[in-house]
Amino acid sequence: MSIASTAQFICFAALSITLVVGALGVVLLPNIVYSAFLLGGVFLSVAGLYLLLNASFVAAAQVLVYVGAVNVLILFAIMLVNKKENLAAIPGLALRRVLSGAVCAGLFALLLRVDLTTSWALPGPEPLGDEATLRIGEHLFSDYLLPFELASVLLLMSMIGAIVLARRDVLVSDVITGEPVDQGLIEKERIPLLLDRSALESSLLEKTP
Amino acid sequence: MTLIGAYAVVAPTITSLQLNAGAIAPEMAVLIALLACLVVDLAGEGVASRWVPPICYAGLLSALVLLALQWDAPLEPSFLGSFLADNLAVAFRAVVAGSTLLSLLISWRYVESSGTPVGEYAAILLAATLGAMFLCGSTDLISIFISLETLSVSSYLLSGYMKRDARSAEAALKYLLVGSAAAAVFLYGASLLYGLTGGGTGLDAVALALKTSETPVTALALVFVLATVAFKIAAVPFHQWTPDVYEGSPTPVVAFLSVGSKAAGFALALRLLVGCFDSFETQWKLLFTVLAILSMTLGNVVALAQTSMKRMLAYSSIGQAGFVMIGLVCGTEDGFSAMVLYMAAYLFMNLGAFACIILFSLRTGSDRISDYAGLYQKDPLITLGLSLCLLSLGGIPPMLGFFGKIYLFFAGWADHQYLLVVVGLITSVVSIYYYISVIKMMVVKEPQEASDAVKSYPDITWSVAGMPSLRTALVACVLITAVGGVLSNPLFNWASATVAGTPMLQRAIASALPVALG
Amino acid sequence: MVPALADLTPLISAAVTPGVVSPGLDLESSFSAALEGFGFTPAAAHLLWLPLPMLLVLVAAVVGVLVTVWLERKISAAVQQRIGPEYAGALGVLQPIADGLKLLVKEDVIPAKADGLLFTLGPILVVVPVILSWLVVPFGQHLLISNVGVGIFLWISLSSIQPIGLLMSGYSSNNKYSLLGGLRAAAQSISYEIPLALAVLAIVMMSNSLSTVDIVDQQNGAGILSWNIWRQPVGFLIFWICALAECERLPFDLPEAEEELVAGYQTEYAGMKFALFYLGSYINLVLSALLVSVLYLGGWGFPVPVEWLASALGLSPDAPLVQVITGSVGIVMTVLKAYALVFIAILLRWTTPRVRIDQLLDLGWKFLLPIALVNLLVTAGLKLAFPAFFGG
Repeated sequence: MSIASTAQFICFAALSITLVVGALGVVLLPNIVYSAFLLGGVFLSVAGLYLLLNASFVAAAQVLVYVGAVNVLILFAIMLVNKKENLAAIPGLALRRVLSGAVCAGLFALLLRVDLTTSWALPGPEPLGDEATLRIGEHLFSDYLLPFELASVLLLMSMIGAIVLARRDVLVSDVITGEPVDQGLIEKERIPLLLDRSALESSLLEKTP
Repeated sequence: MTLIGAYAVVAPTITSLQLNAGAIAPEMAVLIALLACLVVDLAGEGVASRWVPPICYAGLLSALVLLALQWDAPLEPSFLGSFLADNLAVAFRAVVAGSTLLSLLISWRYVESSGTPVGEYAAILLAATLGAMFLCGSTDLISIFISLETLSVSSYLLSGYMKRDARSAEAALKYLLVGSAAAAVFLYGASLLYGLTGGGTGLDAVALALKTSETPVTALALVFVLATVAFKIAAVPFHQWTPDVYEGSPTPVVAFLSVGSKAAGFALALRLLVGCFDSFETQWKLLFTVLAILSMTLGNVVALAQTSMKRMLAYSSIGQAGFVMIGLVCGTEDGFSAMVLYMAAYLFMNLGAFACIILFSLRTGSDRISDYAGLYQKDPLITLGLSLCLLSLGGIPPMLGFFGKIYLFFAGWADHQYLLVVVGLITSVVSIYYYISVIKMMVVKEPQEASDAVKSYPDITWSVAGMPSLRTALVACVLITAVGGVLSNPLFNWASATVAGTPMLQRAIASALPVALG
Repeated sequence: MVPALADLTPLISAAVTPGVVSPGLDLESSFSAALEGFGFTPAAAHLLWLPLPMLLVLVAAVVGVLVTVWLERKISAAVQQRIGPEYAGALGVLQPIADGLKLLVKEDVIPAKADGLLFTLGPILVVVPVILSWLVVPFGQHLLISNVGVGIFLWISLSSIQPIGLLMSGYSSNNKYSLLGGLRAAAQSISYEIPLALAVLAIVMMSNSLSTVDIVDQQNGAGILSWNIWRQPVGFLIFWICALAECERLPFDLPEAEEELVAGYQTEYAGMKFALFYLGSYINLVLSALLVSVLYLGGWGFPVPVEWLASALGLSPDAPLVQVITGSVGIVMTVLKAYALVFIAILLRWTTPRVRIDQLLDLGWKFLLPIALVNLLVTAGLKLAFPAFFGG
C-alpha cells in the first residue's frame, strides 16, 4: 500500500471508530450534556468522512450547519433548562431497555445482511473535487429549484411558528368581542407529565410549615 | 427572473429545457396569500382579524380556480421533472385546498375566542396546505421529502398552537417525535433508492432502477417508504399518534389534519407505490391488505369505547382510511376512482361533522359525547348537521358517504378482494353503531335527561364575527353531504376523469389487466 | 471526548496531501530532492515534509501573537499616556515572552467540583480551529499552506466550532459566571457569524470563487483602485464589526465583561489553559485582520501593481529578481495591512464603551443582518448591471 492509501485507511478507521463510539455514547450516556458534546464529535467525524470522499464543500457545510448551528443550539437548550427534576420511575425500565436493544440489534442484523448480500457498484463515480461547489449550485438552480425554493417556505414557517410558540405574551381577551378568553377551550391546570408526583408533593409539604 | 437568468449562466446545456412554472400557479396563489397574511399581521391583532380571512379566501379560491384551469391540460413535467400536474395531482390538490378553505371558515371564531393570534394561525395553516399540495404532485424524492416536511412541521406547530393548554403541548411534542422518526425512516429509504438509481432522484428513474434490481435492498426500501406513507395516512399499526394528537390539538386543526393531510398522504401513496414500486406489486398489496384490515378493525372497534367526540372521530378516521385503502389495493380503474370519490366525499362529511363539534364546543366548551345529550331541544341546527354527517360517515343511504363506500366495496368485490370487502362491511356496521349512538344521545333524550352543558346552553346568536362563516361552511358541508348522494353523477364522472387523465395510473391499470383476466 | 480532537487530524492531513499544496515556489519538491539525496525514499521524504507546513503555521501564528501582545501593551500605554512595558528587552519587546513563560510555569488548577475532562478539552477546542484557519490565508500568489477550493468557506465553518469549546469551558467550570459567559460567547458568536458570512458571500459573488487566492487575484488589476473596499464599503464595515464581535474585542467583549461576569468563561482557568484562551483570542484577532486585508484590501497587492513598476523600470516580470521582490512585497503588504487593522482594533478598545448584551444582539439581528442581506442583493444587481466592474 502506498502512503496515501495507508493514510486514507488510517483516517477512515479513526473516523469510523469515533463515529460509532460517539453515536453509541450519545444514546447511552446518562448525562445529557455529555451526549450533546459527543453529538458534536459525531458530526465532526461525519464531516471528516466527507473530506475523505473528496467532498470538501459538503464537509465544510456539515461543520457549519451541524456543529456550528444545530449542536450549539442543542447545547444552549440543554444549558438554559438544565434543572434537576425528580423524574417518576418508569415501570419495567430494564425490560423496556432489553426489548428496544433487541429491536435495534435485529434491525442492525437485517441491515448488515442486506448490505452483505447486495452487489454494490464499486467504485462509485469519480469525485469532482473543487468543481463540486459549482455543480451543487447548478443543481440547486435547475432540477432542484422547486425543493430549494420550497425549503425557504419551510424555514420561514418553522421560524415564525417557533417564535409564536415560544412567545410568552398571550391574548387575555377576544380581539373582536373584547370578552375574556373562553376558558372552556383551554385547559386550566398544567400537569407535569414525567415528574415524580409523590416526591414533588412531599417536597412541597416540607416547604410549607 | 433573476433565478432563471442565473441558471442560464451556469448551466448553458440545459437552458433548452422548460421550467413550466405554470404548473404550480395554484400553489403560488396560496403562497401569496400566506405572505400577505404575515404582512397584514404586522399591523396588529385587530387589523389581522379583519383582513386575514378575506386574504385567505381569495388565495384559496383562486388556487381552486387555477386548479380547475389545469384540468386535462397537456401534460408536461415542470421544474425539470420535480413536479407533474396530472389529473390525479389536480384532484388531490383540490381536495387539500378545499379542506383548508373549509377548516379556515370554521376556525376563525374558535381561534379568536381561545385568545391565539389569527395571522400566524392562518399563515401556518396555509404553509401546511402548500406542503400538502406540493406533495400531491411531486415526482422526485427530494421534492417529496421537502414538501412532506413542510406539511409535517406546519402540522406540529398547529397542533401545539394552544400553548396554554397542556394537552395541546403534549400533542405537539408527541407528533413531533413520532413524525421526526417517520421522516428519518423515509430519508433512509429514499437514500437506499437514490443509491439504487446511481445518482437520480426522479421517481421515473427510481421505478426503472427497481425493475432491474431484485435484491433485498429494494424490499428494505419498500418497507421504509411504506412505513412513512402509513404514518401519514395513520394506518394501524402506525396510528398511535392519531388519538392523542386529535384530542390535544385545536379542533379546526384536527379538521384539516384528518382530511387535507390524509389526502396528501394518499396521493403520495399512489405516486410511490403505484408509480414507483409497480415491480413489487404483490408485496405492497399484501402489506396494504394487512394494514387495511387492521385499520378498519381497530379503528372502528376502539371508537366504540370513546367518550370524547374528538377522540371518537380520530379512531373513526383511522377506520375510514382503512376503507380508502381497499381502493388502493384493488389497483383497478374503479378502485382508483373510488378512492378519489371517497376522499372528496370524506372532505365534506368529515368537515361538516367538525364544524358541528366546533360550534358545540364554542357554545359549551365541551367535547364529551355525554354532553350532547338532549341537544335537539336547544340547537336543532347542530343536531341535524351532525346527524346527517355522521350517518354519511357510517354509510347510510342516501348520503354521499353511502355512494362512496358502496363504490369502494364494489371495486374491491370486482377485483376479488373478498376478505377486505367482508371486513369492510362488518366494520361499517360497527361504525354505524357508534355513529347512531351519538345521534340517539342528541335526539331521543327527554328534556330532564339533558346534560348540564345543554341545560345551560347559551342563546344562539350568529352576529359575532367569524360565526357567519362557520354557519356557511356548516350548511354547505351538510347540504353537499345530504344532497350530493342523490346527485352524485358529476362526482362519479369527475373521479373517473381523474383516473383517465393520469398516465401513471393508466399504465398501472393496463399492466394489471392481463393478470386480472388470467 | 478525546476522539473529538482526532476528528481534526484528517482536516490537517487532507489539507496538506500532495496536489493540494501550492506548486508555486515548490518548496516541497526541493525539500524532497534534498532528502532523497541523503538516501531517503520519496515516500519517507513526503512523510517528513508533512508536518513542516503545520509547524510553520504554528510558528507564524505564535510570533504574530507575541507582536500583537506587545503592540497592544504599547499602544494602550500610549493612549493612556503611560510608557508601558520598558525593562524586558529594548522597548519591552520581550515582555510578551515573559508573560508566556509565567503562564507556562504557573500551577494548572482544576477546580474541585469542575468537570475535569470538559474543562481541559474546552480551551483546546477554542484554539485548534483558529490555528487551522491559517491554512487558507495567502501571503502571495503561491505563498499559502493550501489553496483549497472552498477557501474562505472553510474559515467560516471552522470558526463555527469555537462556540462549542466556549460552551464546554463555561459549563464545566461549575461557576455561574463562567456558564453565563460561555452562553453569551456562543450567542454572540452564532449571531454575528450570519452577517459575516453574508458579507463574505457578496465578495465571493464578485470573484466567482471561494478560494482566497482567486479573491485576491481579482482585486489586483489596477492596484489600490481595484481593491474590494471601494466596491463593498458596506460589506467591509459589516465584516469588520462582525470580526471584532467574533474575536470578542471591545466594544463587544461581553463574554468577559469584568464588571458583570468576573472574566466570563475564563474565570476558573489558570496557567497553560488560560494561556490557550489568551493565545486563541489573539490568533483570532490577527487572523481576522489578515482576512479583512485579503477580502477587502487587496491581500498581498501593493497599492501600485508591482508588474507596472517592473515594466516602468524595463524589467521583465518573470526575472528572478522581480519574482523575489514581488514575493517579499507580498508578504510585507499582507502583514502591514493586517497590523494596521490590528492597530485600529486596539485603538477601538480604548475609545469605545462596551455595548449591553441586548444592544449587542439587536445590532446583530436587527441591523447588521438586514443590511448584509440588502448589500448582497445590491451586489447581485450591480453584478448583473455592470459585469465589467463587479466581476460578471
